[in-house]
Amino acid sequence: MHLFFLSIFVVFAGGISAILLNRHFTLMKSVGATFISSGCLIGLYFTSIQLFLDVPADFSANYLDHFIIAFHIDALSSFFLILIFGISMLAAIYSFHYMNQAEKSLATSVNYFFFSILIISMALVVAAANMITFMFSWEIMSISSFFLVIHSHHAVENRKAGYLYFVFSHVGAMFILTAFGIMYSFTGSLNFGEMVLLTDTAKIAVFVFAFIGFGSKAGVFPFHVWLPHAHPAAPSHISAVMSGIMIKIGIYGILRIYALLGFHALLFGEIVLIAGMVSGILGVVYALGQHDLKRFLAYSSVENIGIILIGIGIGMIGVSSGKPMMALLGFTGGMMHVLNHAVFKSLLFMGAGMVQHRTGTLTMDMLGGLLKKMKITGSTLLIGSLAISGLPPFNGFVSEFLIYCGGFEGTGLDRMTLISIILAIVSLAVIGGLALASFTKVFGVVFQGEARSSQAENVDEKGLTMLIPMLALAGVCIFIGVFPRMFVIMAANSMSSLGIGFSPDMLGQFIQLSGNITMASAIFFAFILAALAARIIFYRGKTITRSCTWGCGFTQPTVKMQYTGTSYAASILDFFSMVAPRHEDHSRVENCFPGRSVYHSRINDVAELYMDAVVVRPVLALFARLRWIQHGDIHLYIGYILLAIIILLFFV
Amino acid sequence: MIQSIILWLISILLAPFFAAVILKVKAFFGGKKGPPLLIHYYTVIKLFQKSSVYSTSTTFIFRMGPVISLCASAMALMFLPIAGYRPVLSFHGDIIFILYLLGLGRFFTIAAAMDTASPFEGMGAAREAYFSIICEATIFMILILFFKLTGKLSLAAYFSGSGTLDLWETAGSPLLFVVIAFFIVLLAENARVPVDDPATHLELTMIHEVMVLDHSGPDFGFIEIGVFCKLFFYSAIVSRLIAPFNPSHPVLNGGVFIASILLIYVAVGITESVIARYKMDKVPKFILTSFVLAFFTTIITLEFLK
Repeated sequence: MHLFFLSIFVVFAGGISAILLNRHFTLMKSVGATFISSGCLIGLYFTSIQLFLDVPADFSANYLDHFIIAFHIDALSSFFLILIFGISMLAAIYSFHYMNQAEKSLATSVNYFFFSILIISMALVVAAANMITFMFSWEIMSISSFFLVIHSHHAVENRKAGYLYFVFSHVGAMFILTAFGIMYSFTGSLNFGEMVLLTDTAKIAVFVFAFIGFGSKAGVFPFHVWLPHAHPAAPSHISAVMSGIMIKIGIYGILRIYALLGFHALLFGEIVLIAGMVSGILGVVYALGQHDLKRFLAYSSVENIGIILIGIGIGMIGVSSGKPMMALLGFTGGMMHVLNHAVFKSLLFMGAGMVQHRTGTLTMDMLGGLLKKMKITGSTLLIGSLAISGLPPFNGFVSEFLIYCGGFEGTGLDRMTLISIILAIVSLAVIGGLALASFTKVFGVVFQGEARSSQAENVDEKGLTMLIPMLALAGVCIFIGVFPRMFVIMAANSMSSLGIGFSPDMLGQFIQLSGNITMASAIFFAFILAALAARIIFYRGKTITRSCTWGCGFTQPTVKMQYTGTSYAASILDFFSMVAPRHEDHSRVENCFPGRSVYHSRINDVAELYMDAVVVRPVLALFARLRWIQHGDIHLYIGYILLAIIILLFFV
Repeated sequence: MIQSIILWLISILLAPFFAAVILKVKAFFGGKKGPPLLIHYYTVIKLFQKSSVYSTSTTFIFRMGPVISLCASAMALMFLPIAGYRPVLSFHGDIIFILYLLGLGRFFTIAAAMDTASPFEGMGAAREAYFSIICEATIFMILILFFKLTGKLSLAAYFSGSGTLDLWETAGSPLLFVVIAFFIVLLAENARVPVDDPATHLELTMIHEVMVLDHSGPDFGFIEIGVFCKLFFYSAIVSRLIAPFNPSHPVLNGGVFIASILLIYVAVGITESVIARYKMDKVPKFILTSFVLAFFTTIITLEFLK
């Protein structure tokens, strides 16, 4: 446990020294990045030992006599701590070359400071053992990430994004507080451990409130609205951390509450499963319709949160209907996807940051042909795209495979549950297909073909510290994809604290699944090597010519003729036009010789579209009626306070 | 094991022959003599002897595309029980692995198409990505039914030994719908009429052919073999569904298998001869029919099984 606090202090020292050194740009960056990453490394070391020993670590201290600050690190916490420290370490390294605006030295140092605070608060959230510690760390996490989102606060849309994020994270926190409040009113204790004492109705209420609260952090549809705004606004390494880990803290919250309640109602599983399916499909459909690379990745996070929730939902249904194998597969698949998504999504965000750095734009239809000049970025992003589409032999496949297997185990269930299981399997298949479509679109439009604008021409690849984390993450994608065994066991162990109660022989059967994946991937690699060897033989001694692309008889091709991302996605989006209405703006074509014309299209997010009409306006109208309470007279305000205290003292 | 590997090799070697049967059937309907049955072997050998022209727009992905799509299709055949014999490889959930492996092949075919910067290839790629989504939903729907019937999740369990016969015995006539659904998926996934016309001359109306326009020489030969393997994979599944018999004599068994598989290729040929390619916006509805059929079968079967 001392190592844990040591790592936190080292990370904090990094943040503080960055602030102190804000006049020396390069020194500040190197000190900040070194301290933060080495702090994370200590944390990683501690957590690995913790996982290996398999004994929970505890720590508690009295703070101001009344509130006990308590930490408890079990297998579930350790699993998330590994992600937090691992990804943050790479993000800190990445930040060294990424933050290159020397004229914004102070803003950069503030960014390092809040970055360190964000890492610390995330680690404390997953280690927290009572409500006070949890809420305290949770709020620090929300606020520090808010300051990171508004890093480039000069642009008005970034401030708007920050505001939206602030509102969402605090409304979410209110829901979590409500859930905690219900718990406290029943048990009279701030400890997490006594939650089992609640009545069943109270447990359902607690779960629903906590699910909404944590879901708004995780980006579950329809509480995901802040995500596509906040991610493009934040610097790329921050987006990587926020999308890779911070939103998973919401998943951690859901799992923790579920475990603590110890109440395995079928309803919980159904809620989570349905939320997962809706987020998964809508997330990827909206992703397909995006024009901005980082917005696209943000929506893709919504999709992957959906996949995680489908896995967890299958696990919960397995627990409540007494099918331990289904529960084990579902939960492990969900946890594996938490790990995998953290790896490839941070890789993709880092790649997006590199693209933005080198070209100055994130608009996909302005880019093209980057792979020729940016070989490492392109190749690692290709690996990330393959992995996130869930294709073998990459890591995304492993988690989806486990979730599928869990789902199939559940087809033996009864009517209503069976229907939702069938829908879950089919929606996973549809999500897989759509993810393939959207990532071929992004990779094809951004990295392949020819440059669509002058910005995408003559690019180069610079920044060693940006490339190293990307290479490392791409390596992890392949490693987990080919040798999933260790990670699958880790994920399965992290869920053992939930009390599913699986027997050792089940785990054996389960490990065999990962062995099969390793075998099949090895054979596939052998095939590829054989085919490549055959290819070399076939081409031996032949002259290979280079020419322009066959234009089907057209002799004057231009880069403008290339298929754009918008057109690539158009027909699929038409299929989903019910949930993803397209808004188009274009000038009319007039006369025989029409002049310049413009075309603009946008895929509307139904949650965003109706949020204003259904939630914001009614609430504003209600509060406008209550305006008379806020009259600005200080005497009466003091009267309100007295009145409130009297009511609380005597009547509650 | 040796026997399975030999069968696997034979199936890869025979796949181009069966594909030529379709051409013969189409020629018969057109009142023509048609190309020889070994036409595809001649084509592939000719391609392997040639060299390639690469577009200046392309990168290494363009060269990886054919390799990976061939490997994916050839590897899928390893999991397929041929003539009811045990496949080379089999494990719980192998069918999911295969579907996603074919997805990997599709990813690289699309990526290779996008690599050329050609508007036509981009158009073909978009269609390929779109239609395969619905196909995948259908196949998973069928898998749910099969899992429900057998409790297993591998091709070997469904199509080797008496597996297919047991499927028919438990499910009965509703399985006919599955056969039709699978046939529709076969047509869609392998770029056949009425989804795609491999023989058309206009690039705008193609799906698969337009995606490989720029490939030439041995690379194109790889793609062709991969396409034949993939067609054989789907055809073998459908043929096993319509002829689930297992005569004990190996020659008879092989004869039944080849006859049933020829039947499927002839059926594909007849479909191509009598139906015109659908308009592009009608294709998703056509493929969705297969999903509805599979869903329908699952629901009735589950209701009667209780």
